[in-house]
Amino acid sequence: MTVPGEQSSAGPLGPLSGFRVLDLAGPMGVYCGKLLADMGADVIKIEPPGGDPMRDFAPFAEGEPGPGRSLYWLHFNTNKRSVTLEIGSSEGAALLRKIALTADVLLETGPPGYMDSLGLGYASLAGNSPGLVYASVTPFGQTGPYRHFKASDLVGFAMGGYMYVTGWPHTPPTRLWGSQAYHTASNRAYIAILLALYHRTMTGQGQYIDVSMQEAVAATTEHVNTTYNYTGEPAVRCGFRHGGQFVATWQCQDGYASITTNTRAAWDDLRAWMNRDGMAGDLMAPQYDDHFVLRGERSAHIEDLIQRWAMLHTRQEITEFGQSKHHPWGPAATPDEILENEQLWGRGYLTTLASPDGGPSMVYPGDPYRLSEFPCPIRRTAPAPGEHNAAVLSGILGLSPDEMEQLTEGRIRGIPRQAQNAPAPGEVERT
Amino acid sequence: MNNDAHQNDHALRGIRVLDFTWIHAGPSATRILSDQGAEVIKVESNNALSVVGGPASATARGLGQRHNWNAGKLSISLNMKTPEGIDIARRLVAVSDVVAENFSGRVMPSWGLDYDSIRAINPSIIMLSMSGFGRTGPWQDRVSYGQTLQAWSGFTQLTGFPHTDPSGPASAYSDAVGGMAGAQAALLALVHRARTGRGQWLDVSQLESLSSLLETLALDLSVNGKAAASTRHGNRLPHGGGAPHGAYRCRGEDRWVAITVFTDEEWRVFVQVMGNPRWADDQRFATADARERNADALDSFVESWTIKHAAADVMALLQTAGVAAGVVQTGADLSHDPQLKERGFFRRVADQRGEYRIIESAPYRMSRTPGRVTRGAPEFAADMTYVLRELLGMSDDEVEHCAISGAFD
Repeated sequence: MTVPGEQSSAGPLGPLSGFRVLDLAGPMGVYCGKLLADMGADVIKIEPPGGDPMRDFAPFAEGEPGPGRSLYWLHFNTNKRSVTLEIGSSEGAALLRKIALTADVLLETGPPGYMDSLGLGYASLAGNSPGLVYASVTPFGQTGPYRHFKASDLVGFAMGGYMYVTGWPHTPPTRLWGSQAYHTASNRAYIAILLALYHRTMTGQGQYIDVSMQEAVAATTEHVNTTYNYTGEPAVRCGFRHGGQFVATWQCQDGYASITTNTRAAWDDLRAWMNRDGMAGDLMAPQYDDHFVLRGERSAHIEDLIQRWAMLHTRQEITEFGQSKHHPWGPAATPDEILENEQLWGRGYLTTLASPDGGPSMVYPGDPYRLSEFPCPIRRTAPAPGEHNAAVLSGILGLSPDEMEQLTEGRIRGIPRQAQNAPAPGEVERT
Repeated sequence: MNNDAHQNDHALRGIRVLDFTWIHAGPSATRILSDQGAEVIKVESNNALSVVGGPASATARGLGQRHNWNAGKLSISLNMKTPEGIDIARRLVAVSDVVAENFSGRVMPSWGLDYDSIRAINPSIIMLSMSGFGRTGPWQDRVSYGQTLQAWSGFTQLTGFPHTDPSGPASAYSDAVGGMAGAQAALLALVHRARTGRGQWLDVSQLESLSSLLETLALDLSVNGKAAASTRHGNRLPHGGGAPHGAYRCRGEDRWVAITVFTDEEWRVFVQVMGNPRWADDQRFATADARERNADALDSFVESWTIKHAAADVMALLQTAGVAAGVVQTGADLSHDPQLKERGFFRRVADQRGEYRIIESAPYRMSRTPGRVTRGAPEFAADMTYVLRELLGMSDDEVEHCAISGAFD
């Protein structure tokens, strides 16, 4: 599939087709805007004249910075349109208010009070637009003693309780690869926006949504809160061993493999294989019959035996044996193997798209779910700065060519690109 | 559905979910719908009482997960190995808006409840199928746990420090992510149905949900080659952008603070807060680029300061000055966190025995549809009377016949 630039008008309508979203988000919410855009919403990225700072985020195509070469920008802005607008000026703010009258959703990540200070807060916009869904994503939320605290992805991950349990006992608490606190905030914001859009579809009513990155992370840790709240003991770091439980990853001959002995059958198949290799030690004895024994008091002894045995085998041998018996065993893929994954290609999750401006073709990931009513989400690659100024300002707002020209002199285009060292308000990480 | 039903504080009042999901990902998806007023009927079985989050979870932690992912739901027991059990399920399909399941791909068809069959019963039904690899493609029959998918996606190899074993995500990030994706898909389908009248089948692959969080990795590998992701980066950003950027040891046992400094201005303030130590004047730390190049040395110096202080004090000092810093919070810290407390993140709700259970709230505040959960997870099969008598209108004789046939065992 090669579909750079504008979408074709054919094809099924996405579930969000017809909804317009104003995306004023930085890195904490940029993924939320992508999720909305990929499902058919008309997401208009509002950028400062000269372009959003995220256009300069690494990595770059062929390692070279330059317009249209930030893979970060290309990935997180698929299917969006772009309008350049200085919302800090009164003319820019007035224009945004006009565009907002035609919008269904506004998404922003400024510090609490920032949008209000521009006259663009929920209260001032919703007065003329009661159906507006207005989502603010911030590090700690709009209320509470930490509401003005700053946070990067790392700080959000730490304060949400996921970092403390990630890593090994002998390493510092560890971040997940990627800005997962930001993306979790985006994922949660997206859920809230979809709830609000459903409510709006049924009632016509909009509402205000206040998303806290800290809470988003805290609600995504699986076991951290339930362990403490129900046992009184904090969960600790245990790498990929999960506390000597029956869900574990092991080093093997050519890397690492995950061997989950979630059932008695899986445990019996594992120790029988170890036994055939002469590596089972005393594990065939009846005292080890219960597959939960792996998290009992002899766990260290058992782990030691499994680890020694695992070094005899490759990831593929372990995977094929386990899967042939319907056990959830599999390899730890190295990153460069991701593009060789036949399942991700086979389902059309990965697609190759030509770049805008004739750059190299690239492999794009797909969406996190497959909808039978809307199978092909990437309609347009990420926009150039202000690419849709005319379409939006004259097409939607009905500005005349003269008015457009005046704006070009003023607050829309024509202003030299500013130094991009300063992060946008409330955004401190440059992933 | 009329508008009056929606003049209330729940977005999904009037929506009914027939929920076959179990363990983590599926129940966490339907809990999101339940929070907003959807009536979620959990179909359980005597054969799976003690699985994680099951009605007879064997451990205290399992009990916590039972409540956290199933708060507000109803529970019925159906033995799907009996024709009567399947018949009741089919009648429930007819009165539901969403059917959710996260079995392996063989199970629903074996009950005659694949999408085509349930669509024949209820043409506008939304079916949410959640699985490890998706229900199409060469790996559709493979089996996975959360950790298997984390390994297969690349997350395990990528997460951790360069010179130790990879650690991968703690706990089941893929299940949490799969749960969010499942809820998103269901909500997208509900919006679509409200606008078009059409239902649909949602095929959620946790491998894809997880892979979609690998950011630019696919683009990077495809255009920059394998070297693009050849190493782990610990707590630093893979593509640079800030230093210090990490977790630093503080006073106390296994106590840490996360600190991130990006701009020169933040660096200047950070140095001031530390009391202008002499090492900070070193040319190696004079610019943002230099600090990144010399991040190992910088980290040692930073830790020589943090180790003298409590993590909470470092956070307070730096936040007051405007530098992003936060305690690396433990489960105990979270339960006492003044911010989470003020926002009511943890809620105490009564279960059906009248005992109070602690659950997490949805991590967003919605002004018009706040969507509060007011009760814990159901007891096993607690809602048979409501579901069989009120909802399906079954007679005493019918219920008795089904019971004798083993449909509820």
